[in-house]
Amino acid sequence: MSRKIIVSVLAFAMVAGLVTMNACRKIELVETTTADVNIVGWLDKQPDSFSLFRQILERTGTAPFLNAYGAYTCFAPVNSGVKTYLTKIGAASVDAADLNTLKDMVRLHLLEDTVYTNSFTDGKLPVITMFGQFLVTSVANVGGASSYQINRQALVRNSNIRTGNGIIHVIDQVMTPAVKTIAQQLEANANYSVFVQAMKETGYFDKLNVVDPNLANRWITVLAESNKALADNGFANYASLKAKYSKTGNPRLATDSLNMYVAYHITSGLKFLGDIITQTTHETMLPQEVISIRLVEQDILINEDEFNGVIEKGVRINRPGSDNAATNGVWHEAAGHYMVKFRKPTALFWDVSAFEEIKKLPAFYKKANYNFTRATEADKPIKDHYWGWGSLAGTNVLSYTYSTSSSITNFACNNDINMLPLGLPSRPVWWEMKTPPVIKGKYKVWICYRAQKQSSSSNQLCQVEVNGQLMQRTMNFTENRPAGTDAELEAIGWKRYIENTTNVFAARQVGVIEFKTTQQQTIRITPLVGTQNNNNLDMIHFIPIDENQILPRFRPDGSMIYF
Amino acid sequence: MKKAFIYLMGTVILAGSSSCNKYLELQPQDGIIKEEFWKTKEQVQASVIGIYSSMMEYSSGGYNSQGYIPSMAELFFVWGESRADNVATATASSFDDIALTTMNVQPTNVNANWRPFYRTINFCNTLLEKAPEVLTNDNTFTQRQLDIYMSEALTVRALMYFYLVRTFGDVPLKLDATLSDENITPIEKSTQAQVLDQIIADLKKAESLAVTSHGNAEQDKGRITRYTVNSLLADVYLWTDKYTECVAECDKVINSGRFGLIRGATVNGPSIEYNDSWFNTLYADGNSNEGIFELQYSQQRLNPFFTIFSPTIPARRWVAAADLMERVFSVDMTNPQNYDIRGDRASVSAATSTVWKYVGASPSVLRTIDQSFAHWIFYRYADILLMKAEALNESGNGQGALNLVYQVRQRANALVSTDPTPSPSDKFAVQDFILDERAREFCFEGKRWFDVLRNAKRNKYARLPILLNMIAQSVPSNMQQSAQAKAKDVNSHYMPIYLYELQTNKKLVQNSFYK
Repeated sequence: MSRKIIVSVLAFAMVAGLVTMNACRKIELVETTTADVNIVGWLDKQPDSFSLFRQILERTGTAPFLNAYGAYTCFAPVNSGVKTYLTKIGAASVDAADLNTLKDMVRLHLLEDTVYTNSFTDGKLPVITMFGQFLVTSVANVGGASSYQINRQALVRNSNIRTGNGIIHVIDQVMTPAVKTIAQQLEANANYSVFVQAMKETGYFDKLNVVDPNLANRWITVLAESNKALADNGFANYASLKAKYSKTGNPRLATDSLNMYVAYHITSGLKFLGDIITQTTHETMLPQEVISIRLVEQDILINEDEFNGVIEKGVRINRPGSDNAATNGVWHEAAGHYMVKFRKPTALFWDVSAFEEIKKLPAFYKKANYNFTRATEADKPIKDHYWGWGSLAGTNVLSYTYSTSSSITNFACNNDINMLPLGLPSRPVWWEMKTPPVIKGKYKVWICYRAQKQSSSSNQLCQVEVNGQLMQRTMNFTENRPAGTDAELEAIGWKRYIENTTNVFAARQVGVIEFKTTQQQTIRITPLVGTQNNNNLDMIHFIPIDENQILPRFRPDGSMIYF
Repeated sequence: MKKAFIYLMGTVILAGSSSCNKYLELQPQDGIIKEEFWKTKEQVQASVIGIYSSMMEYSSGGYNSQGYIPSMAELFFVWGESRADNVATATASSFDDIALTTMNVQPTNVNANWRPFYRTINFCNTLLEKAPEVLTNDNTFTQRQLDIYMSEALTVRALMYFYLVRTFGDVPLKLDATLSDENITPIEKSTQAQVLDQIIADLKKAESLAVTSHGNAEQDKGRITRYTVNSLLADVYLWTDKYTECVAECDKVINSGRFGLIRGATVNGPSIEYNDSWFNTLYADGNSNEGIFELQYSQQRLNPFFTIFSPTIPARRWVAAADLMERVFSVDMTNPQNYDIRGDRASVSAATSTVWKYVGASPSVLRTIDQSFAHWIFYRYADILLMKAEALNESGNGQGALNLVYQVRQRANALVSTDPTPSPSDKFAVQDFILDERAREFCFEGKRWFDVLRNAKRNKYARLPILLNMIAQSVPSNMQQSAQAKAKDVNSHYMPIYLYELQTNKKLVQNSFYK
């Protein structure tokens, strides 16, 4: 009996041992953290489409790092595209091709970041290629089907393929890097012979013909005028252009107008059209001169600006002739002739309460009060007026205040003022405004307000910054204008800016500012001492320093008087 | 003793076997299964009401996360407005919402999830399949009553497919009920034309079965009546370029005499007298004489729009386009008493760019979150007039079309500056005028994109520039050219099939634009 038991126990143990041993062998431990393939692995899986590109990766020594940890974007050309490319560079096979040419080509197809199609714009990609040139994206419609186009050379066939170390966009052609500089490209194009000659004689040709090894300084954007654009504006040849502008006889001088003309067409930075329209002004090579950019329907217009209510016609950028990438930048075609305008500094009497958003509300503009409330810090109800969020949410209200009878606005320009609570600890911490364009020059800055104290002890001392530069004097929204003659007051930085003589409407000269460029300027009022709601801002005057600072004064109907 | 033992054993076996029975019971103890349902007419009625309430289902998952499933009403808005020019994204908009406005939709975009629509379609399919069985089970259930319920299910299903077909183009056409997992089979897409044919066939059948009234206003606006069927048919015919049929359907609604325009403004010599309760009657309260079919949100079932539009919360998703007032409604700078009643404080609050229609309790007061039950209006009388106008213009009756447009404009006191006074014989000019008028009349009512697409695609995309110009307006400037070039591919006008659907239904083929 006991023997039987021992046998059966042994038998059981053996069977159990066998079973467990088997099971042991069958366990397959997964040693990888993911089954996803890397970029190279994905290409390997589809030899029909990518065998040639894969060969190139191998030959150029790119394959190992594309198969390692990282975050890359790879534009992978299919075999047919690679074949076309090999024919173009005169190589019979991948092995026969010049190694350095292949290396450059591969690096143009790789980005060291993941870039999905949703960040493709009309301009360049946000990340530079490993080759050191940016790729430009667009969308092309071929035979009714639209697809992304990269560098105007290749169409995207399949996009946003995720792999373990980045993403792949499949393209139908191999892209080749630009080989010429801006200067060389323009020179090779007969339609720009006049502009190129102007570049040569002013010395800019040489500056546009170098590729700076330092990426930060390399990129230049040129807005070139074609011969036709110049001819349409009366410059049939270079001689007539030179005759019009070159007054010093030496176009190389920075003071020569021909030199300025060329400099005004060059801006630093790599700006494709999609990049140009995201900013309203661009600084040019001509010191402190900017071009303005406006998008009207689909046209990009240069220098279409409004000065003192008059719209000056701008020049269109011709889209098909633009976005030409070169080794050191990009150039575009301006469809007309434009030249920097020299404007005399002109006073700006800015009624701050005539902003666009209130004008859109005819039931309120010059009719009734209206509150612009920011419910959250992210809100921006008024484009050109903004303020630092006050921790007490209810104080984040800019009140457009209008009344012909109220003593707050009865003598104000246009009977309206903007009121904003200010001051620590809980009210808005600064008040910033964008002025209408002010022509460059030296100006005195006057803050015109209706003094008011929320309570008898209120105080609201503020400092003013213009374009980030601190003004010499402070101002105080609770302070009345002192007594004295105009001359006496001006001497101590005060004036009466309205027709009525009441001393609660005061204008305080906070300082002198020199504007370097003609553009919308930024003015910021920051409370220093005290806090209250009733900060009534009526106007801000920018008056050239050599002009009369006292006159004109303003009537409640907005008209000016000169006495 | 032995006897006692036998009795005891007998009892134990008995007890054991009966408990065994219960233990082996496969039917759920806490619910009703389909073998027990579909017995009484009350159950049929409950199912019909269930179809309507399924359209008011809430969203699930966190907004701005991958697992988000939008509610149906949200999709009505997003599909109809987001790609058009009346709305703009706000500070808290998700990448998926922004992608719609930049023509950058990907198959992973949560707004391409059609699940809420097919869920409601399945409710309809189930009713259509099972309700006739009840006739034999419940003698008090009449054929007439069944017909009415069937007409409601057919019409709601047609409405769902009409949204799907306009949004996705080709979609799977599922006409039988999915009652259990056994019924789940992958099915292929049907073409747009096939789906539209089915919609028309369903609606024609529904028209013959539907009632003209359910007996009270709330039910007449909130449930399908014959006029709902006519309105939807008119819209479908307009989409499929069948203009005579469209006019005929519109006339059925117009000639019923049951609907009218709510008075908005009346010109009395030099002054204009506005109806102060116009906004409240038509939108804030709903179920007005003008409404034909509205989703009946109530205090018990709030709509999703508060968090989407209200300016009082930090995370609102959609705001009105910045230039909406000037471009669409225009403003009389000289006389503030002369305004389009549909503009400021009806469609939009211009000062805060708020989409006002769904968050305004009145022209001046915002709703609070517990009052967020503005109805979603599918069709109202003004729509019938303008659909008829569009159909008349296409059939060569420009003057007839203009008369209807002016009728709609007059009630709202549309400003002279928005009247291009087109010649009745200039078909394109009248088309543009009607399209612009629809933008004003149905601002934010989920119609704008479909209106533009319908006009653009007519006669083999003869008027594609309408759509391209709109995109030039609404897309950010640095993507404008790309977006336009994309829109030249007509497949881009339809949304991609959601990635999850592609993965689970292997027979689905992605729209070729999104490959």
